[in-house]
Amino acid sequence: MLMLPELIVIAAGFIILLLDLFLAEEKKNILGTLAFAGLLIALGRTLFSFGQQGELFGGRFVVDSVAIWFKIIFLLAGMTTVALSWDRLTGKTTDIASRMKHRGEFYTILLFSTAGMMYLISSRDLVTLYISLELSTIPLFVLVAWDRDNPLCGEAGLKYVILGALSSAVLLYGLGILYGLSGSTDLATISQKITHSPALWLSVAMITAGIGFKLTLVPFHMWAADVYQGAPTPVTAHLSVASKAAGMAFIFLLFYRVLGGAFQEWNILFAVLATITMTLGNLVAIIQQNIKRFMAFSAISQAGYLIMGFLGPFPEGLPSMLFYLYAYIFTNLVVFAVIIFYANETGRENIDDYRGLSRTNPIIAGAMMLGLFSLAGIPPLSGFVGKFFLFSVASKAGFHWLVGVAAINSTISLYYYLRIVRQMYIEPTMEDATTLQISPMLAGTIAITTLGAVFFGIIPFFYETINQTVAASDWWSVITATAR
Amino acid sequence: MVELLSNNPPGIWHWLILSTILFSIGLYGVLIRKSAVGVLMSAELMLNAAVLNFVVFNHFVKPFTIDGELMGIFIIAVAAAEAVVAMAIFVAIFKHKKSIDITHIETMKG
Repeated sequence: MLMLPELIVIAAGFIILLLDLFLAEEKKNILGTLAFAGLLIALGRTLFSFGQQGELFGGRFVVDSVAIWFKIIFLLAGMTTVALSWDRLTGKTTDIASRMKHRGEFYTILLFSTAGMMYLISSRDLVTLYISLELSTIPLFVLVAWDRDNPLCGEAGLKYVILGALSSAVLLYGLGILYGLSGSTDLATISQKITHSPALWLSVAMITAGIGFKLTLVPFHMWAADVYQGAPTPVTAHLSVASKAAGMAFIFLLFYRVLGGAFQEWNILFAVLATITMTLGNLVAIIQQNIKRFMAFSAISQAGYLIMGFLGPFPEGLPSMLFYLYAYIFTNLVVFAVIIFYANETGRENIDDYRGLSRTNPIIAGAMMLGLFSLAGIPPLSGFVGKFFLFSVASKAGFHWLVGVAAINSTISLYYYLRIVRQMYIEPTMEDATTLQISPMLAGTIAITTLGAVFFGIIPFFYETINQTVAASDWWSVITATAR
Repeated sequence: MVELLSNNPPGIWHWLILSTILFSIGLYGVLIRKSAVGVLMSAELMLNAAVLNFVVFNHFVKPFTIDGELMGIFIIAVAAAEAVVAMAIFVAIFKHKKSIDITHIETMKG
């Protein structure tokens, strides 16, 4: 029963794949409904299993509260991607070029990727960890290169797949050294057996490089801008939230569960990575013209804030990281929903093209503004509260300079997020601008994600809930048991 | 010669040096190859170095278990899946550009 959410997602994927063969083209709308329903049922089952703990396959598959929180993120991201891609896959967009084909396969591959991410956070063994990481990544290569007729899509796919193969090779080499040092593939056994040695540092460096690719940490971020720009926009939205959350899940398992005892020595590594990631992401975002490229660099700088949760051996580290992850996915999806809406109707993707949006579609422009402000971290929106918790972790770990750098970076980011707000509210309207019709699916997505982005910050018990439920997991006792 | 080799079987150091060399050749290939297929082959070489690592550690560190060998088999299978996806993307690109020279795939920059 513990594995039921994953099994539901996989079963839904296979059912869609089979139905796709038999259904007539005009009846294929049901496939999207099925995909959404599958994810929704899995989400319900996951929520229902709160408070349960247990393991399967001799401890290789473990469900605890941390895993459940991550699984909810993956399922929410999957559901939102189904909703965001709805108009494009059903051919209801005004802009013909942004329509996408082959929806049966699209949903199947999306569901398989989601299932891979859900297995990832539950695995406690190098073999299952690696397999589920690849199960979540390889489908993403396919999704990025989805539009065969669009050369940009192919180019994005090529860059992603080559760098993805490279990063998984580096990651595996690091895992291999870890296995050689401990003689076991079980994470708990590894954490007890490893001792400090240069080989361990080599292994940590290679694992960080391999997973830094998924998390888009500078200097492993090179692929992000091109892939985000070239990929179909719903896939970009999925990449920016789900793929990043999967990277966080992986890095959490390895660094908290395996290397938890050696916390003090490697948190300087994360402090330096966080500094260069957020600074470079922010500085390069200022000069971008294409909004998807812009969001890529924005996502890079957000990854810099996210890994600040790894800075210290504190019980607050994980809850604040999870809280920011939730704030981030809701906020980012608001912005992407508006980008997709605008591209669906007009086919435009440049920042300058957004001028006058507040006059033609005031509510949507307002949602976009809230999303951007939350990304920049303006109170009382959820992005601010999330950043507050993360900065307090960094400060508690003794990295006061990092808090200063992060505060300066937040100010820089406000400047470039305001660039879009300025286009929407101050610049004159476009000559041919008319009020754009929004489809019910996108309107609902924007409404729900905006509510999430606003209320997560205002309602205080959300962080408390994460904090209390996460404390029920054994992640903290693992670290204190192996600390030396 | 045969006697010399059979009296001195390779130890863990020899195998690890071999896997490091394989990994380095792969990395070098990824950096200098112009054809996308060549780059992919080099990345596969790096994956094979990782497989060799797992198998060698299994043999020398934990001789009577199969964890490392199991991992090796899984890596080979996953690498095959990765290669299939990569090849499909290369074919899609080849249809547009009539070439998969990665130095010419640079529409997006910045």
